[in-house]
Amino acid sequence: MRLILIGYGVVAQSLTKILTVRKQEILERHGMHPRVVAIVDKGGLALNTKGLDLERVESIKKKYGTVASIPEYGRPGKPAQDIIGSLDAEVVIEATPTNLETGEPGTSHIEEALKAGKHVITVNKGPLALALPALTEMATYNGVHLRFSGTVGGGTPILDFGRNCLSFDRLLSIEGILNGSTNYMLTEMEKHGSTFEEALNEAQIKGYAEADPSLDVDGLDAAAKLTIMANWFTDKDVTLKDISVEGIRDIKPEDLKEASKRGFAIKLIGRIDKKMKVGPTELKTSDPLCIGGTLNAVKFHSEFAGDEIIIGKGAGGPETASSILRDLLNIREKM
Amino acid sequence: MKIIMKFGGTSLGSADKVRNVSKIVKDYSVNNQIILVASALSGVTNSLVRLSELVKTSNSEKIVNELEKLSELHTNISKNSIKDPNIENEVLESISSILDELKRLLEGIISLGEITPRSRDRIISFGERLSVLVVTGALKDIGINAKKFTGAEAGIVTDEEYGEANPLMSITKMKISKTLQPLLSKGIVPVVTGFMAATQTGDITTLGRGGSDFTATILGAAISADEVWICTDVNGMMTTDPKIMPNARTIPQLSYSEALEMTVFGAKALHPRALEPAQENKISVRVKNTFNLSGSDTLISNDQSIVRGKVAKSVALIKDVAMVNIGGAGMVGKPGIAAKVFDTFAREGINILMISQSVSEANISLVIRRNHLEKAVNTLEISLLGRGFVNSVNAEDDVGVIAVVGAGMQGSQGVAARVFNALAKKGINIRMIAQGSSELNISIVIKEKNCENAVKAIHEEFEMDTP
Repeated sequence: MRLILIGYGVVAQSLTKILTVRKQEILERHGMHPRVVAIVDKGGLALNTKGLDLERVESIKKKYGTVASIPEYGRPGKPAQDIIGSLDAEVVIEATPTNLETGEPGTSHIEEALKAGKHVITVNKGPLALALPALTEMATYNGVHLRFSGTVGGGTPILDFGRNCLSFDRLLSIEGILNGSTNYMLTEMEKHGSTFEEALNEAQIKGYAEADPSLDVDGLDAAAKLTIMANWFTDKDVTLKDISVEGIRDIKPEDLKEASKRGFAIKLIGRIDKKMKVGPTELKTSDPLCIGGTLNAVKFHSEFAGDEIIIGKGAGGPETASSILRDLLNIREKM
Repeated sequence: MKIIMKFGGTSLGSADKVRNVSKIVKDYSVNNQIILVASALSGVTNSLVRLSELVKTSNSEKIVNELEKLSELHTNISKNSIKDPNIENEVLESISSILDELKRLLEGIISLGEITPRSRDRIISFGERLSVLVVTGALKDIGINAKKFTGAEAGIVTDEEYGEANPLMSITKMKISKTLQPLLSKGIVPVVTGFMAATQTGDITTLGRGGSDFTATILGAAISADEVWICTDVNGMMTTDPKIMPNARTIPQLSYSEALEMTVFGAKALHPRALEPAQENKISVRVKNTFNLSGSDTLISNDQSIVRGKVAKSVALIKDVAMVNIGGAGMVGKPGIAAKVFDTFAREGINILMISQSVSEANISLVIRRNHLEKAVNTLEISLLGRGFVNSVNAEDDVGVIAVVGAGMQGSQGVAARVFNALAKKGINIRMIAQGSSELNISIVIKEKNCENAVKAIHEEFEMDTP
């Protein structure tokens, strides 16, 4: 199976590492022989129709900052658009950074791949949050699969878990802690009485929050995930603008202290019932959903099975890369 | 309000009419956000269809002739509807460059020696490309900030059913939210070609008959318009044809399903496919008269209003139909005969309008378009006769269908009886009856010579002339 990898950041590098280390196992256990025929990063692309030597690509990337510097196979300055449609491959993996304003360049990459009849796996939330109904329609029309399990919960299979819970049952509500960095901050503020700014600083030092933390603290990252879940679990066609969003900037340590006295914690919760909303919400500390640190947790409330909860790490390179492999296997089974 | 206004060819047939349309848009654009959808000018699509036939014969004289007529028509209307010489020149230049493009396309098809459904769509979409030039020019001429779009540029994406393409609605919604939506809040009036769209890879498609109505409702659904106005040359949808019944009245309100029944039965004001995006997204559609805009009109919406005692809202007459009767004692208890009939018709591209079969199964009656009759009878005879089940295939070509429509008929007893009584009083014999389980309509087949009297009798019986 030939793969085109667009974007070569932490997640994609973890993926090529797993593909190298687990090559034999993937072949023996799953009968799958993934060949990465092209990798694109900001500096250009590396291309070998027989499959790139991934160890070599990794070391070149570390040394020179771009895969395009690889001798013979490197094409400095060449953009993804040049190969997505025309280069023969079965699956395109979109792993460029999330942009929740325009969805680009991810949306164009995905559209181009689907139109060319290639399956797509994406870990990029931007295109999905802004245009999931359109991209789903495009995939269906072209008879290919679009998979994105890494966009919600990183390596934790929240989307797959939910689908299984819900087969033959009716979903009444979904709620969850969908963003690890804000959950870490709220936990810190509650434990140590630190202010929002102090907690943010702490999170940035530990690498849990980006230099520009606004996607996290303003609730947009959680809202993007909620959009994806709403499309995946319900028959609604939803985009980011359909969700009401409130972040955690205004939360004071006193609020947390006061809630804690009553046996509650304040969490940034995304919730789908009749409405779709992300905002700070009080949870009983005894509620299994009420977890601390950087963890994510989602509770599915269905008519017959009642509450089912999945908890796990919400981000991370190897974790999210494992979700790409899960999607790949899923597509392989359907081919 | 956000309004999509669609103007048909008859609303754009002359310079005066084009000016009238631009004045309407100017008046309404003060308080509303408007997207205008334009059909081709009156007669132009027919001329393009002729051209797409002529290229097969490579009759270059006739082709040049048709092209000249197109040039003359659009040039004249532009000259007489646009005053500002700069705008006029710009429009005239664009018209001639688009006609050049058409000419080159036709030449290419002639030298290829074949016309495919895809190239045919490209040809027949030129009418709308030309009309939006004229209309946009006329709008700019009276100070409206108008911007022209082809359906493809606007972002209507369809499948590859050339000639009768279907929109991919989610993709279309996404594209339009980026192309047209941002212009509305800036006070710009987008002018979009009706009828024409493109596949995901940009090949031009057309939306089939009534395609401009379809464009309007697709855009309405995409931007969540408050209303879609289908502006035509009649006062909305009527209780019946006013030529038959002078006191026929405009029906003020219809549900989507009622309107669908009426359009299927030949209400010319609107095409049935156009109602799909409206119904799915609950967008109200108003059928209005361009030349009497403030006059009575029909609102088609989700609301299934039933006036007490008004069980039937309209009665339609469909002529040019024929009835086929398939009979034989051997058909009783023999599965698969009906399937064979439908299969035969499907293979020949014959559309069935009505079906009726008695419980005894000794007879199946079908109504089809009259121009299909001979083909239908002959192919049925070939596939059914002499095989032991069917011993007769008869045709009657002097019949018409009367369709009575109204949501009030659901669960209301005695409606059929009233129809039959009204006809019996006039001595009219009923040949065939069909009622769908939706109970939204009763269709009956009678001899053609009785049709107009039957319409009158039913219109009177249900007092359709009074609100």
